[in-house]
Amino acid sequence: MSETDIKANKIDYKNFFYPPGGILIWILIMVELITFGAALIALSINSRENPELYHQSRLMLNSTYGAINTIFLLTSGYFMARTVYYVKQQKLDKAAFNNKMAMIGGLLFLLLKSLEYYEKIEHGLTIGYNTFFTFYWLLTAFHVIHVLVGLGILFFMYLGLRKAKRPDILNVEAGASFWHMCDLIWLLLFPMLYLIF
Amino acid sequence: MKLTQKNTIIFLYILTLLTALFSNYAYGWSFFVTIILGLSAIKFMLVAFEFMEMKKAHAAWQFLIVFYLILFVGIISVILH
Repeated sequence: MSETDIKANKIDYKNFFYPPGGILIWILIMVELITFGAALIALSINSRENPELYHQSRLMLNSTYGAINTIFLLTSGYFMARTVYYVKQQKLDKAAFNNKMAMIGGLLFLLLKSLEYYEKIEHGLTIGYNTFFTFYWLLTAFHVIHVLVGLGILFFMYLGLRKAKRPDILNVEAGASFWHMCDLIWLLLFPMLYLIF
Repeated sequence: MKLTQKNTIIFLYILTLLTALFSNYAYGWSFFVTIILGLSAIKFMLVAFEFMEMKKAHAAWQFLIVFYLILFVGIISVILH
């Protein structure tokens, strides 16, 4: 595939080396998913030693917050997908608007997460409270860091969409893929931490 | 019905609602963990294949995503059953 083809947005996604977003971002996504997956397996193994403690600890979490945050991230992901769609259509104003909506979704997620963290700290449910909360804090905080990085990427993408006449679709797709990765990780964390124990 | 991005987000909302309802009313069922994780796996696939457009990617990437999910749901279900 020539550079001209890529610039003209004629990417052959069926080529193994050119998945949407590019191969590098997909290697990163796979590594992240394996890391979080391994941590969640460790959480499950650990829960077998004291299932009652995990059940009681899980009940101390507010699953409504978790569900609302799932809606925020999924909606944000939808707007991100629309952003990529409009960039491909060369409708950059619409793309920038959808990008902004995706950022708002991410900010709402962080706002609710901050409220949840505040309540947990107020009740003394900090990282050292028990093993469940050690996992809870490590996994969710690591995820929040990803959301913060993703928001930074989205912000620079927004600036780019406002200025560029023909944005590089590979860069837009790579940034969008990173943002969707935050959705994917959350879709694993939410049931594991808030629902199943 | 053709799966578009708009249909996908509606499916995702419905699945999230179903997960919330199921977790409230079916806690303790034999296959509770598998069903909850299965619903999440479907949401995961909808995001990956529709929003991230992996439905257009090489079959090996699609296989990797599905394989990861089967492995994840399978291992957790076995551990917690």
